[in-house]
Amino acid sequence: MMEYPTAAAAVQAATNGSTDLVKVENLVKHFEIRGGLLGITKLGAVKAVDGVTFTVKHGESLGLVGESGCGKTTLGKVILRLLPATSGRVEVGGKVLFDIPAAGEKHRKAQMLDNKQMKTVRRDMQVVFQDPYGSLNPRMSVGELVGEGPLVHGMTDKKQREALVRDILGKVGLNQSHIHRYPHEFSGGQRQRIGIARALALNPDLVVLDEPVSALDVSIQSQVLNLLDDLQKEFGLTYLFIAHNLAVVEHISDRVGVMYLGKMAELAPVDEIYTHPQHPYTVALLSAVPEPDPHHRKKRIILKGDIPSPANPPSGCRFHTRCWLREQLGRPERCQTEEPLMREVRPDHFAACHFSEEINPKAVADAVIDTAIAPTPITPTAAMAEA
Amino acid sequence: MQTTAVNTIAPAPTPARAANPDELLDIEGLKTYFATANGLVKAVDGVSLQIRQARTLGVVGESGSGKSITALSVMRLIERPGRIVAGQVRFAGQDILKLKDDDMREIRGNQISMIFQEPMTSLNPVFTCGDQIAEAVLRHRGGSKKAAMLRAVDMLSQVGIPDPKRRAKQYPHELSGGMRQRVMIAMALSTNPELLIADEPTTALDVTIQAQILELMKALREQNRMAIMLITHDLGVVAEMSDDVTVMYAGKVVEATDALTLFDTPHNPYTKGLLASIPRLGEHRERLEVIKGVVPNPLNLPSGCLFKRRCPYAMPICDVAPPLRQIGENHVSRCWLTPDGGKPEIGEAPLKAEAEASSASLTVEAR
Repeated sequence: MMEYPTAAAAVQAATNGSTDLVKVENLVKHFEIRGGLLGITKLGAVKAVDGVTFTVKHGESLGLVGESGCGKTTLGKVILRLLPATSGRVEVGGKVLFDIPAAGEKHRKAQMLDNKQMKTVRRDMQVVFQDPYGSLNPRMSVGELVGEGPLVHGMTDKKQREALVRDILGKVGLNQSHIHRYPHEFSGGQRQRIGIARALALNPDLVVLDEPVSALDVSIQSQVLNLLDDLQKEFGLTYLFIAHNLAVVEHISDRVGVMYLGKMAELAPVDEIYTHPQHPYTVALLSAVPEPDPHHRKKRIILKGDIPSPANPPSGCRFHTRCWLREQLGRPERCQTEEPLMREVRPDHFAACHFSEEINPKAVADAVIDTAIAPTPITPTAAMAEA
Repeated sequence: MQTTAVNTIAPAPTPARAANPDELLDIEGLKTYFATANGLVKAVDGVSLQIRQARTLGVVGESGSGKSITALSVMRLIERPGRIVAGQVRFAGQDILKLKDDDMREIRGNQISMIFQEPMTSLNPVFTCGDQIAEAVLRHRGGSKKAAMLRAVDMLSQVGIPDPKRRAKQYPHELSGGMRQRVMIAMALSTNPELLIADEPTTALDVTIQAQILELMKALREQNRMAIMLITHDLGVVAEMSDDVTVMYAGKVVEATDALTLFDTPHNPYTKGLLASIPRLGEHRERLEVIKGVVPNPLNLPSGCLFKRRCPYAMPICDVAPPLRQIGENHVSRCWLTPDGGKPEIGEAPLKAEAEASSASLTVEAR
């Protein structure tokens, strides 16, 4: 298997550059923690996204999964320039949205589209948020919400806008006669459809969906997921689908990226990643998902401890403090001292682990046994006996 | 109105049920209504279920199903404008709805404990974790503060919190979500309850932390021989943890049976729809099955079967609300379809009478 000097090079070599809609290179976003008397002393930083590289091809769905603190939501916002990046390069549709050199990269010049240029680009990249209750302005009618984008981008003719809005509302399965209603008159699932309609009104190329179905009831989730599928086919959309529900991500994605503490742990086509995970974190994540089948109450790998804070990530490989594979291999020092780079461990399948080759069904089975929680007996303490 | 009748195999519903000593919790005909400014919300509308010693009952439902209100009703934690208007809740044979407040306090947090969904809002932010656990011990077991604190530290260690002595002195905000949930479990188990009610205990947690908490609950229930009422919308969690399952919809029980039967041969169209619509790992479906429509507005419930507008099997009969009917030996379903899922035959006897008779006595029960 080849190794590449940088993660960017590895990913670039495998993906055909010309079919990429989105190119993300070494993206970093740190949130500073300040304290002290006047709140100006820099105490540290929350390294929300700490060097992520990947691409999204035209027309595909890239799923991003991870748990709290992995940075997937921040990543989505930074790509859309809803948050300023700390460093890194993002290109969408051939246009460089920004290219900010990192501290050590003195030779590179910063590039940045100005606000006017960004406005044109924003037509082509839209977003659907998680909270159907918080993401719609309660004082705007559905017609105004969905029509705002076209209005801002020059569609000043009211009749034309209304026609467009009605058309889109119909496409997302909403009653067109509800165009004058307000968000509070709709259910959660319907509000999410309004959010989707709003994103589609400008006929974008890229739609970033940040946990679009997490807040919905199970029976509504499937309606919205089917809708997203249909719309993608009809409009030729490219999705960046951010979610924590692995089954949902598997259903909708072509490729999946797994994030942990600000870094990409694994990136592969959806079938590959679910059948042949190459990163011990992915293995544990898949193992942890409860299956709706009482006949197969599976034994799982139980990770020890909590997810570390992104303000203070572990040295070397971020996952090493909870890694079952490292335990099995006798705690090799490399995990602690050397950060693993993304490398192609199988065709078109990248993982950031020094020991991906050691992952096999037996290793996983052993990990399950090693981590099973045995009940500890409750022994009455002497003090309780006194009581 | 057309009089139709249904071929049933159900025996006539029995009005009173003999107390079964094996049953720890026996809810019969519970009705909890909320008199809101917009109208009467029948959050729990005639719910019956039983939990036996050391068994885990999964209560499944979506928003508005009434599952959380059922749990709060058992604990008698319903506040205005809500009120328990009917029904019995027998715990170890005794109807706890009739108890005086003081007597209920002896049971709440002691023999029946509860853990909630959002650990941050359920723990008191101004008391240390150790203090909160010790409070339960002191209240129900008496003894010295020192002994209670020792017990608290012991419990923290049992729920897998490393460095428990230090953690006992910390405040909830200093702990992660998973840790806080463990603290709540420690608090609930510190008095060695016979029944633990867990309301969406892992919904707010990351999936790897959820796995830890579920494994912990399994270990503790085995060791303490504890019954659990596990409320959740996650069918995966239900399958993992439950012996028996009750499915709720719009304030009523719509199906109840053991876990294997529910997943293998569900009867109620709502249950079937739910099981068919969830994406599962390892499956490669092009499209997900869908339950069309939305949960009915509790202020504006349809007449007849509450699910009829969303049901792929809806028939004219569904304009009469079906009672819970016996489908199998340990399987009930609130639906007019025959036990093997076919359309009912039209007969002579008036249908409405059966529905009314059974709703008066509330059931064929859900064992």
